[in-house]
Amino acid sequence: MNRPSRLRVENLNVYYGQNQVLKNINLDLPDNGITVVIGPSGCGKTTLLKSLNRLLDEQEGVRVEGRVLLDGQDIYQAGADLTLIRKRMGLLSQKPQVLPMSIYDNVAFGPRLLGLKDRKVLNGLVEKYLKLAGLWEEVKDRLQEPAARLSIGQQQRLCLARGLAVEPEVILGDEPTSALDPQSSRNVEAQLLSLKQNYTIVLVTHILRQARRLADYVAFLYFGEVIEFGPASEVLVSPRDSRTRAYITGEIS
Amino acid sequence: MTRKHYGGRDFGTQRRLRKESFFKFLMAASASLVLLSLVLILVIILWKSLPALKPSMIIRNPGSGYYLGREGGILNAILGSLQVVFGATLLALAIALPAVIFLNNYLRRKSWLAETIRFSLDVLWGIPSIVYGAFGFLIMITFHLRASLLAGLITVAMVELPILSRALDETIKLVPSELKEATFSLGASRWQTATRVVLRQTFPGLVTAVLMAMGRGLGDAAAVLFTAGYTDKITTSLLQPVATLPLAIFFQLNSPYPEVQQRAYASAAILTLLILLVSLASRRLSHRLSRHKIR
Repeated sequence: MNRPSRLRVENLNVYYGQNQVLKNINLDLPDNGITVVIGPSGCGKTTLLKSLNRLLDEQEGVRVEGRVLLDGQDIYQAGADLTLIRKRMGLLSQKPQVLPMSIYDNVAFGPRLLGLKDRKVLNGLVEKYLKLAGLWEEVKDRLQEPAARLSIGQQQRLCLARGLAVEPEVILGDEPTSALDPQSSRNVEAQLLSLKQNYTIVLVTHILRQARRLADYVAFLYFGEVIEFGPASEVLVSPRDSRTRAYITGEIS
Repeated sequence: MTRKHYGGRDFGTQRRLRKESFFKFLMAASASLVLLSLVLILVIILWKSLPALKPSMIIRNPGSGYYLGREGGILNAILGSLQVVFGATLLALAIALPAVIFLNNYLRRKSWLAETIRFSLDVLWGIPSIVYGAFGFLIMITFHLRASLLAGLITVAMVELPILSRALDETIKLVPSELKEATFSLGASRWQTATRVVLRQTFPGLVTAVLMAMGRGLGDAAAVLFTAGYTDKITTSLLQPVATLPLAIFFQLNSPYPEVQQRAYASAAILTLLILLVSLASRRLSHRLSRHKIR
């Protein structure tokens, strides 16, 4: 790669109390593509993801060392604007977390935080991002209904739309399809694939087939260490490390 | 499972079944006792107050010779109680809500400050209201204040504060951390997360907590005994003394005249009815307000 990528992780160490969860992580997450982080459960995938937008800060007893660079700026720098950092990265969690308000208000939430009040502009944004998340046709006639009434698959796409509406550069997904039925999973996957031209997407999954379907790049995480990182065609097809091979062939899980 | 079989028959099961039905009977008996005591209280109060329950009770102030059994009603105490309890609940809420938001959204759950605040609230909850009354009385003396609506509602607010805070705390604690994380990841600050999402999610519980505290404040006699005073007129200023229903019951029950004692029961019936209304309202409201709640 010629120029440095938008999102880089340098010498990242994360501790829960005495326990080191992430060990000296170095990753150069490629722009405009999907990087999938795979690894057995408990290997630190979610922690890695949450360290990228400093959601780790909300947890107790966590210590972070090292740097996470977003456009060359260390987000762990003292005085870094947390809300601004988080706004630049949309997050999809394992279980969709819609906000306790209407479908419309969910999508308008981010723009409103920024002070946007003009109803016409908001209407436009809501429509645009619901379309982008592939949900518009299903909800356009009931935008004022509580978001909690949507099916869980629809909720996850609503979360996607809501995340996109703050116009992030990076999308983080923490097993975003694990709570969804197969049809809804395919729907979300399709949306992610169509979004990758314009966003840096980092996805955590424990489903290898999903990694094969989506990944441009793959990072294999094992006991808090990145064992292997590279183009999907290399890591998933002909891994260099024996542990990666063991995981991919299902010997360890 | 350790069952004893004797020739194909199963004695252990028999015994377990008998034990089961015995304890089920005991539990059902306790449960009916709860229901029965409520019914009993309502029936007795209504029965005793029936002769005195006239429209004049709730639309008139005490007339001349009221305490000797002549005409009049307790409108002054009904309105006074409402004045005290609305003022007190508003005041308590104005302190409890920011405190609880601070506790839940700004402090670490296990931090010593959070633990200390929660412990203090538990202690405050346990303090009998007569002690708050005495405390309020002491403050009044210090500042040369007379018994008044203001002093009464401040004291009742002190009684309500720990109840309200703990109830709010319990509801707000239940907000899933994932929901807060989702809000943070949209770029919301702690303040925005608290006001735009946490309060919305907990709004039904919040209303219930407020009404619960109101019910408690409405019925408390000891807190207003020294601080609010009593009057036969309707209170129009914060610095005038104010009549309250619990004290109306207290004074009338002390009377040697049977007519006045009947009115004490009528006042009790009215107070109970008010509290019943508050409870019903809280049920209704919290159901209706859960529309947007995430489960």
